[in-house]
Amino acid sequence: MPCPSETGPFGRCGTAAAMRRLLRQFGIVIALMLIGAALAAATPSFFTAANLINVVRQIAINGILAVGVTFVLLTGGVDLSLGSVVALAGVIAAGFAHPGDYPVVVAAAMGILAGTACGATNGLVITRGGVAPFIVTLGMMTVARGLALVASGGKPVSNMSPDLTRLAGDILGLPVPVLILAAVSLVSWAFLGNTRLGRYVYAVGGNENAARAAGINVNRVKMFAYTLCGALAGLAGVVLAARITTGQPNAAVAYELDAIAAVVIGGTSLSGGVGGIGGTLSGVLLMGVINNGLDLLNVSSYYQQIIKGIIIVGAVWLDRRQKE
Amino acid sequence: MNHRSRSTAASALALLLAATAGCGHSSPSAEGRHGERPPVIGVSLMNLSSEFIVMINKAMEQRAKELGAKLIVNDAQRSPERQIQQVESFIAQQVDVIILNPCEVEASTPAVDKALAAHIPIVNVNSETKTVPTAFVGSRDEQSGRLAMGYIAGRLGGKGEVVMMHGYMGQAAQLKRDAGAREVLAQNPGLHLFAEQTAEWDRAKAISLMENWIQAHGDRIAAVFAQNDEMAMGALLALEQAKKKDKIIVVGVDAIADALEAVRQSRLDATVFQDAEAQGRQAVETALAIVRKRPFEKETYIPFRLVTKENVGQYAK
Repeated sequence: MPCPSETGPFGRCGTAAAMRRLLRQFGIVIALMLIGAALAAATPSFFTAANLINVVRQIAINGILAVGVTFVLLTGGVDLSLGSVVALAGVIAAGFAHPGDYPVVVAAAMGILAGTACGATNGLVITRGGVAPFIVTLGMMTVARGLALVASGGKPVSNMSPDLTRLAGDILGLPVPVLILAAVSLVSWAFLGNTRLGRYVYAVGGNENAARAAGINVNRVKMFAYTLCGALAGLAGVVLAARITTGQPNAAVAYELDAIAAVVIGGTSLSGGVGGIGGTLSGVLLMGVINNGLDLLNVSSYYQQIIKGIIIVGAVWLDRRQKE
Repeated sequence: MNHRSRSTAASALALLLAATAGCGHSSPSAEGRHGERPPVIGVSLMNLSSEFIVMINKAMEQRAKELGAKLIVNDAQRSPERQIQQVESFIAQQVDVIILNPCEVEASTPAVDKALAAHIPIVNVNSETKTVPTAFVGSRDEQSGRLAMGYIAGRLGGKGEVVMMHGYMGQAAQLKRDAGAREVLAQNPGLHLFAEQTAEWDRAKAISLMENWIQAHGDRIAAVFAQNDEMAMGALLALEQAKKKDKIIVVGVDAIADALEAVRQSRLDATVFQDAEAQGRQAVETALAIVRKRPFEKETYIPFRLVTKENVGQYAK
């Protein structure tokens, strides 16, 4: 039935529209709460402070990656090189983090720098070379993996200084990776909503030609998105190395798919222009809760894969239906 | 980059070049005795980005040099299809013998078939194929599972609650280590495997899985058997962070450097040593015995060995 005005605050139509708006914004949060409630009912181990801290600890790396790739997806691009860049950054950071070698800041900075360089290279080839992001980042995926193997000699880089592994420890009962994710998310969220460059990211993904016609330097915006995404992948690599106490050249295979899945579950469009950090974090949390819950319930490895796939597609499908 | 990682990077590059260039130049010692042409061995390896395979490769190159043979080493990078192509090109090059380190049981089988059809002897090292090759050199993976779970049974006096971390489900190593561990479980009815899950050979995944298990059954677990050391190290890190390691036994397989160091420091309880060096050396010896028409064993099994605090000194380098 047609509504005279979508904005009427008191009419039935208004209420329905408000409900729809609420669902649109919080559909994924509601899904998260439903799954959380089901898990809490199914096992007493789920809804405990220790386990919830556990869940956020486990999502931190995927979260940092997902926040980074949100920028790229918002511009309408994609980054398939994340997993390999994580491995490269981890190997580089671990190489600088032998006890008594360099201060931990240097090790972390070198890892982040390696990621930034990969991201900037992606951005450069995409904007200057005009090659499709899918292809460029697919190339970077194998190049970065190869570089990680060369830099490490194909072996895990171990003997890591405890200063670096502390990056995966706790401060006041909160895991450091979670604090890093919180800081990264907060800054990214504020940046996207409150700065000109942040709004340009949406504009470029929404309609590239219109953005260009409006005088936006589209290449600069894309360059920024890929470089930032690479830098955050570097940061994730440093955190992963700290967590596993080595630089593993073979680590983080296919992490990009988990990150992209989380972003899309969180409502960011694969074609760009729509979405944001809040949604991404909900998506990351949803995936983390599912992983944790299935382990707590001791669901067989075979069924875990099937269930995860169905929940991911189901969550996005529900989300899209609400938006129509 | 610091010196250490620069030198490892340089040696990695050298290794890669050596592998891809096919070791074109033969060293003086490789000229063979009696002035005859040195035998040529074509080698197709599963994956030179795996630490274990790199160790097999080094041992083979060393032994080939000592015995005056020439190696052509190709890396299949985990692709059975590439492995078949490599064997085809060995056949075209008329090598004297092939050493195959199969990527997969079924998918690498055509490589063995083709070599045998071309009357070129072929030695499988480390893993099996469906077709029986001229000779096989490797270890029985079941034994590693038996040794690891046997150690747990001994420590717990045949009674207790155990969890197991699997490798990639369906891979030969996962299936066999699982089978070996289950033999011990069957012999010890008091040992109870109450949770098992894959962590895909991966340390990061193993940390998360162990954290979740600590939440779900924290005080129930008496021992963790991880089917490789990467996962054992992950379980160890999670248990240490939760301050529960002193109550729980953790055992892995493979004896990677990190795990040996952890055993030496009394953090990890045990690992199982698979002798890459002996496998590589024996593969070259068997291959050359075949070429030189000397007697050889059709199947050589290099035994696994349990590594604990008591004997870790023999293994840690």
